Amino acid sequence: MPVLRMKGVTKNYELGKTLVRALRGLDLEIEKGEVVAIMGPSGSGKSTLMHILGALDRPTAGQAVLDDLDLSEVKERQLVTIRGKKIGFVFQTFNLIHTLTAQRNVELPMIFQGLGKADRVRRAKELLKRVGLGERLKHRPNELSGGERQRVAIARSLANDPEIILADEPTGNLDTETGNAVLVLLKELSTRDGKTVILVTHDPEAAEIADRVIRLRDGCIDPRSEQPQTDRGDRNA
Amino acid sequence: MLREFFLLAGQSILHRRLRSWLTVIGVFIGITAVVALMSIGYSLERTINEQVSGVFGLDNFVIVDENAFGPGAHGGDAGEYALDLELLRSIEGVQVAAALRERTGYVQGQADAEGNVLQGFFPVMGLSPELSTQFKSFTGELEVLPGGRLFEPGDIEVAVLDYDISQRLGVDVGDTILVAGDGTSELDLTIIGIMAPPEDNEQEDGGGFNMQFGSGSEGDTISVPYETMDLLWGPADDVLVTLVRTRPGYEVDDVADRAEDALKARGSEVSAVTYTDISDTISQMTGAISAFLAGIAGISLVVGGVGVMNTMFTSVLERTKEIGVMKAVGAKNSHVLTIFLIESGMMGLVGGIVGSGLGVALSVFGVSLINRLTTGFEMVTVINPWLIVQTLIGSFLLGAIAGLWPARRASRLPVVDALRYE
Repeated sequence: MPVLRMKGVTKNYELGKTLVRALRGLDLEIEKGEVVAIMGPSGSGKSTLMHILGALDRPTAGQAVLDDLDLSEVKERQLVTIRGKKIGFVFQTFNLIHTLTAQRNVELPMIFQGLGKADRVRRAKELLKRVGLGERLKHRPNELSGGERQRVAIARSLANDPEIILADEPTGNLDTETGNAVLVLLKELSTRDGKTVILVTHDPEAAEIADRVIRLRDGCIDPRSEQPQTDRGDRNA
Repeated sequence: MLREFFLLAGQSILHRRLRSWLTVIGVFIGITAVVALMSIGYSLERTINEQVSGVFGLDNFVIVDENAFGPGAHGGDAGEYALDLELLRSIEGVQVAAALRERTGYVQGQADAEGNVLQGFFPVMGLSPELSTQFKSFTGELEVLPGGRLFEPGDIEVAVLDYDISQRLGVDVGDTILVAGDGTSELDLTIIGIMAPPEDNEQEDGGGFNMQFGSGSEGDTISVPYETMDLLWGPADDVLVTLVRTRPGYEVDDVADRAEDALKARGSEVSAVTYTDISDTISQMTGAISAFLAGIAGISLVVGGVGVMNTMFTSVLERTKEIGVMKAVGAKNSHVLTIFLIESGMMGLVGGIVGSGLGVALSVFGVSLINRLTTGFEMVTVINPWLIVQTLIGSFLLGAIAGLWPARRASRLPVVDALRYE
């Protein structure tokens, strides 16, 4: 059963006086536990798609259904709740709050959900331990390496135990080795925890861990892309 | 959750330490000025009240011409009034009543060695004997030269002279002078006392509220018993002031009201003034003065508030991406609004704490400076806890209100735009 379903999703926005047609009638289904990579050149609509998948923005037309909830119809308040509970974000530039320690950064989504302090602290410690930062709880982002920061961000994305992890260029600011470690961690979220992981990326190596690659071009899905990773490998050979 | 928001706001303030302090300085300068001025105002009010109550006592009241005090008083026009002293004494709750009336009368001294008789028109003052015995806090200690005495009940044909006039008339204790009143009434009065001449430093007992009977500035007053005035000029219609003490157990304000009503019913245009009346007037006056000064100082508070607003706008701009991240991980608009309001409110509050402390210190210093520079006026220091509480609440609100606009802007940032912001 798909966790995310999109039907005829269109997104237009105005940039100055010109109308940008970022998405032009997208159909897409993503299954629970799947790792999906969304690839495409700049301006292909990747970011816009990610915003809609992440309940950060609403489509201009069409349906985007997450767990039976049509994101194009719900109120702003509900979008906030969906973001808080069902989706975990991992960003290219980590986007940690630099005044807070690693632990407090991981606690943040739980604070907004009103979780009690004891539970919050316990879970934040658990998650940081899991991403290998059990010893770095009290460090602030500027005292951590890029890879460590991204792992804090991954721990934060898991704070409210969401169904979907949405990673926007998670390896974009990391060297290959560190990037690979982060990718392994993300893959593990799918294989071990059954989370749905959506990667928006330029990085072919990132796409390697995906079960499926979706290529975007000019706001549409490239019809050749919706195939399992192994098929693509064969064809390229 | 609110506790967590306070922590988040606090961490953000501490992270921008220098800017936060500069903002706080902008707030506390204004608060220091307001608190200091208000505190000095309270000190002044308390000091004057204590001085007045020291003179007045809590069981006394004063009857004056109705133009002198109270609603409708236009001051400067205070004059004499008619008084039925016996009626006043018969009013329930009145223990002692003593009055003072004044006329100008023809006075003739004794012939000197060459047979010259000094004569002329001089002020003649009628005093109830109780003035000098029962109302010393008003009159001060009246002193006569050795060999003389002041009035006693039952005295009629006697007089007490100021030192200067006794010299000019060439008379001493035991001599007689002639005083002429209305029509043909005249009396030979035996001099029973000469007032001690005023000393150089007349005001040293301070207060400024003492009535200097007898030893007036001119030093040419002839004082006679109150009843003697009746014989010379008839029933009193020339009373300047009447002092009344109430019996224990009676409310002074009630007795004063009764006395005023009774005297008014007899046609006396009087006003009975109690300590409460004077205290209220003092409070109104000092309150108006300190409110005016604090209002001027309050302008700097507005400047401080604008400073907070500016800092918060900068902060919102700087943290646009952070706001986007908070919203992406589940923060509601109201959460963002609350965090920013707490942040600006806390800067106001810290300004309030520092400003209150400095303001109180400044007022203590100011009062001691006033005491050092003035003599005969010992100002007390008053620290009003309510002022501090109000200041702290007010300063938090000042910060929060100044932060309202920036915080609203922050909370309404579209999450996608905020995340893209570089």
